[in-house]
Amino acid sequence: MEIIVNLDVMMAKRKISSTELSERIGITPANLSILKTGKAKAIRFSTLMALCRELDCQPGDILEYRE
Amino acid sequence: MNWNKDKSIILTQACLIVFAVCLLALDVGMYWVARWTSETRVIHFALLMVSGYGISVFAWIVLWRLWRFMANIKRGVIFTKENYMHCFHISWCMVGAAIICFVCGLFYFPFLVLFAASGFVAIMMRVVKNVFQQAVEMRSELDLTI
Repeated sequence: MEIIVNLDVMMAKRKISSTELSERIGITPANLSILKTGKAKAIRFSTLMALCRELDCQPGDILEYRE
Repeated sequence: MNWNKDKSIILTQACLIVFAVCLLALDVGMYWVARWTSETRVIHFALLMVSGYGISVFAWIVLWRLWRFMANIKRGVIFTKENYMHCFHISWCMVGAAIICFVCGLFYFPFLVLFAASGFVAIMMRVVKNVFQQAVEMRSELDLTI
């Protein structure tokens, strides 16, 4: 059981680079990389909200639960 | 008086230097101290020498670990694995000293007081180590919260 972060998929769909997205949501590129690689242990609602706003998607498009 | 955490650390480090000088003096003069003690009290000279130097080894390790611990805190490096490993080693050194004191206490009762004191410090350091370890884990989790 795990939560998969599909951020790279959404970024590819929206054709947005890591640098641009990190600037838009106000986190460092290093932290965005932690999110993209699935190394993050938790995500703040504020970060998730900013991601959804900038990528024009729902939380479920970014996070996925797998058995 | 303008007291802050840096001054507390400097004071602790100064105390560590004083303790180190005292320990060095004791190491150098161990023979005479042991001879004088064995002449005035019912305790064997060889036992005092062996236990004295045995405890001294642990004391040096404890002083060195405490020095490094304080230096890390001074630099603002607090909740790290290195720091809780310092506490871990200090705790085991105190256990070692407590064992030596207990053995000596079987021959000379007052050593049992040192046994109790070092045993208590060992337990306290173990508690501090556990707290630091938990803090390190919490910090790691916080660092990976985006």
